[in-house]
Amino acid sequence: MVVITLQRKKCIGCNYCVELAPAQFQMSKKDGKTVLLHSIEKKGFFTIKSFDESIFDCSNEAKKACPVNIIEVKQI
Amino acid sequence: MQKIELMAPAGNFESLQAAIDNGCDSIYFGVEQLNMRARATVNFTLDDLEEIEKRCSEKNVRTYLTLNTIIYDHDLSIVKTLIKRAKEANITAVIAMDQAVISMAREQQMEVHISTQINITNIETVKFYSMFADTIVLSRELSLRQVKKITEDIEKDQIKGPSGRLIEIEIFGHGALCMAVSGKCYMSLHSHNSSANRGACKQNCRKKYTVIDQETGFEMELDNEYIMSPKDLCTIDFLDQVGDAGIKVLKIEGRGRAPEYVAKVIKCYRDAIDSLANGTYDKEKVISWMQELEKVYNRGFWNGYYLGQKLGEWSKESGSHATQKKVYLGRGEHYFDKAKIAQFKIDAYDVAIGDTILVTGPTTGAQEMELKQMFVNDAPAEKATKGDEVTMKLDFKVRRSDKLYKIVKTEFAEN
Ligand code: SF4
Repeated sequence: MVVITLQRKKCIGCNYCVELAPAQFQMSKKDGKTVLLHSIEKKGFFTIKSFDESIFDCSNEAKKACPVNIIEVKQI
Repeated sequence: MQKIELMAPAGNFESLQAAIDNGCDSIYFGVEQLNMRARATVNFTLDDLEEIEKRCSEKNVRTYLTLNTIIYDHDLSIVKTLIKRAKEANITAVIAMDQAVISMAREQQMEVHISTQINITNIETVKFYSMFADTIVLSRELSLRQVKKITEDIEKDQIKGPSGRLIEIEIFGHGALCMAVSGKCYMSLHSHNSSANRGACKQNCRKKYTVIDQETGFEMELDNEYIMSPKDLCTIDFLDQVGDAGIKVLKIEGRGRAPEYVAKVIKCYRDAIDSLANGTYDKEKVISWMQELEKVYNRGFWNGYYLGQKLGEWSKESGSHATQKKVYLGRGEHYFDKAKIAQFKIDAYDVAIGDTILVTGPTTGAQEMELKQMFVNDAPAEKATKGDEVTMKLDFKVRRSDKLYKIVKTEFAEN
């Protein structure tokens, strides 16, 4: 299972995660920060758990590219 | 010579208060992600706008919102919201780089200042932007002679902004300079995918590098490895010439700096600008200001490009050359209003009579003073250590969010 977490509040809206994992992330036109699609929020942390292992690589690329290190990607 | 406006950086409420308390005429600050300090962990939010304006207008301090990153399509709506909220909160002006921001601010009838990132270096460009803005920050790479020519031509050609006033020129007066052309840099983006132009500069030009010839493997001999790390700009020692160049606003860099830095730098420049105005600006004062400025964070000082286009001066070591640093002691616990007594709990180190102490906080700003008397467990004491409850008479209110520090000398103090 792939678990992706986003600490959304700290996002600076640079768009890199969307370029690398467009199926997981989308820029919000409302506040200019990224949205982790289909995620559930708990105390500012947005999380998705997916059985689709194929999303790991691109999400991990997004994690590495994020300049403020607010994306976490784990395979469990 | 017109009196120069002193513009202070405010990265958070501590610095904002420190800037106001020490006599700035205006402050600039960023909100949310669209400013050059987006990476900072503490940044103002939209909900802070009213409080910022309230604190500043009480002291007649003008407020400038920086909205000077590159702007993408997905940012447009937040830009609009920001400008709208800033207008509602009575913020004085928006500092803009992107044409979208300029146009949106004009739509909302907000005063616009052109940010240094636009790199304005000649009178024709000033003329062009005068259609949209009342204040223009010139490129950092100009000499004072060139700046002066521009301000004279504004006067001669009567170049006016939307407000109907003559265009006012702003320049950088003090703080970090980087190797890039007026704040446009790709280095951080290339090395860390972290765009400086989106406010996420990693400051990797501040590191040591070796240059190696790939063909032969020979390392280039460099006297100083910090080849991309200029010293900090300081203009206090030729502020008379700066004033003579006809500028209106002197901007102090440092939204990432601590409140005591803002306090010290603003205090020195306030004093210098006032001295200039009342004719008491002299060498002796310059020496004492320089000594004060050296106490807080700096990478060594130089005059930038203002006195001629000599090659940059590079810093010799990484990090600060400050002659002083602060050591955390403890937190504010209570303030007895009537008696003006503050109570602190000492969490670390110790403090003694004669030490210079510093209290910082979002409402307190940065207050520095010599410790003349104190009480530990209600008895007069010479020294307090970790675990002690300390009380002392302080003229300003101390809050639970306040931190107590002592100021100690660093290795640079001896040099
Ligand atoms: S890469 Fe990071 S900072 Fe940039 S948009 Fe995505 S989450 Fe936000």
